[in-house]
Amino acid sequence: MSAANDSEPNPNFSNFFQIDDDWKTLTGKGVSVAVIDSGIDADHPNLQGKIKESVEAQRNDKRIVFEPSTSGDSAGHGTACAGIIARIAPEAEIYSIKVLGAGGLGDGQAFLAGLEYAIKKRYRVINLSLGTTKPQFFAPLHDLLDRAYQSGCIVVAAANNLPQPSFPSVFSSSLISVIKSAETDPYNFGFHYGEIIELTAPGVNVRTAWLGNGYRNLTGNSFACPHIVGIIALLLESCPDLTPFQVKTALYAIARKNQEKQAVENREKTSNLPKM
Amino acid sequence: MSETNEKNLQANLKFLIETIDVANVLTEPITKSIENLLRISAAAMNSEEASVLIRDGDEGDLRFLSAIGKVADKLLNLKVPAGKGIAGFVLSSGQPMAVADVGEEIAFYDEVDKTTGYSTQTILATPLRHNGEIIGVLEYVNRVGEPPFESFTPAEMDNAAVFAEAISTLVNAYESAKLLRKLDTKTLNEEFKTEYAEVRRWLATLRDSAEHREMLDLAVLLREVASRGVGERQLCRELLESILRFSDTKTETSLLSF
Repeated sequence: MSAANDSEPNPNFSNFFQIDDDWKTLTGKGVSVAVIDSGIDADHPNLQGKIKESVEAQRNDKRIVFEPSTSGDSAGHGTACAGIIARIAPEAEIYSIKVLGAGGLGDGQAFLAGLEYAIKKRYRVINLSLGTTKPQFFAPLHDLLDRAYQSGCIVVAAANNLPQPSFPSVFSSSLISVIKSAETDPYNFGFHYGEIIELTAPGVNVRTAWLGNGYRNLTGNSFACPHIVGIIALLLESCPDLTPFQVKTALYAIARKNQEKQAVENREKTSNLPKM
Repeated sequence: MSETNEKNLQANLKFLIETIDVANVLTEPITKSIENLLRISAAAMNSEEASVLIRDGDEGDLRFLSAIGKVADKLLNLKVPAGKGIAGFVLSSGQPMAVADVGEEIAFYDEVDKTTGYSTQTILATPLRHNGEIIGVLEYVNRVGEPPFESFTPAEMDNAAVFAEAISTLVNAYESAKLLRKLDTKTLNEEFKTEYAEVRRWLATLRDSAEHREMLDLAVLLREVASRGVGERQLCRELLESILRFSDTKTETSLLSF
């Protein structure tokens, strides 16, 4: 699908849907954010005191249960995502749900269970920097995301830059899906109305927390996703009762404002060029 | 040499020759093709080292199947435990990722570098998929020339996903060839008493389409029936033919009729 700016239903949207910039001064205080990933290194200097709870998937007979986790992060990825969230929303309450790197659990199965756990706990924002292309997960994921939507949980998923669609990032109606851009300012995210993957956020050479109290420069849609999660935490601190639909609308309004600002700056740059 | 010993030797030699032959014929052209594709794609990615890691067992462990570059020989068959390092994450999450400064701190899963003596500084890893299943990981490491190396770009990440598509097909072919090889090795071994139930269990663990698995399972079942004797074979044939006749006469308009 091509970029769909031309086909937007209301090009003057931001004229009657104004959002001031006050939310940018907030910290995400009191907003619960779940990170469904490889665990989080809670001792990292950037994350100390910010990880409220860590659980991990364990097999109990044929079911998957979540027990308190002390194994931290085996891959570094969850820590990287939490680092990005904590930078944008330093007072958000982060909950680690470890579903990757837990031995003996089938792909996707633990990931689905982790999502269900987060929805049951009614965490306000859920960071899902994972995906699957297995057709058998299509229906259960769809069902879970509908439940999340109805429970007021805002699920943010990383797109998968693969030739085939991956779930859940293609379920654009019930979640917020994000793809990486080379932008560096976390507030300067974009919204592609009509695209399957609607949001764009920084995801190229993002410097963030890593294992062993370290830092890494990382590239991937996985790292664009937590940028939007952090932004949503700020919006929810500002207006705690926002529904997933309202959050998406607010993101759209802010992105439109960003685009308009960018267009003005570009015009100014062009007009300042010496005349030929 | 007694007659029995000679017979045993002959049988063992036959088994050995056939096994080696089968192994080479089936898998070698595929691993060669994977290596060639790695070489071509690494040149396009301006990368110094490239490797393919495949699943090793059911717990999410990985092992190097193919590699090109300075330490390729040392990498082959090296294992990466489940969930460890960038490859482990890409396998379990299905998300491609690039890391610009791997060597900066000690926390990177550096067992592979320790074994090979190589210094990984920048890396791009993308999943290998077949029928929606993640069957392995494709990695590009460092750049051609001297460090410091430029990090991999988003455009290169997209290109790697395209190379991964082609390589996945070959890796899947390799897995199938390896499976047939194992089956043949078991069959050729005269000492081996075929445990059909075990073979069926083993087939059930195969990561392929459910339909393919079901057909293979059926084939093993048929083979078991056929090995029971002439009477069983005859009965089986009659039963199968009558199923076909039933199937031919069945109307396909209603899903509810039996």
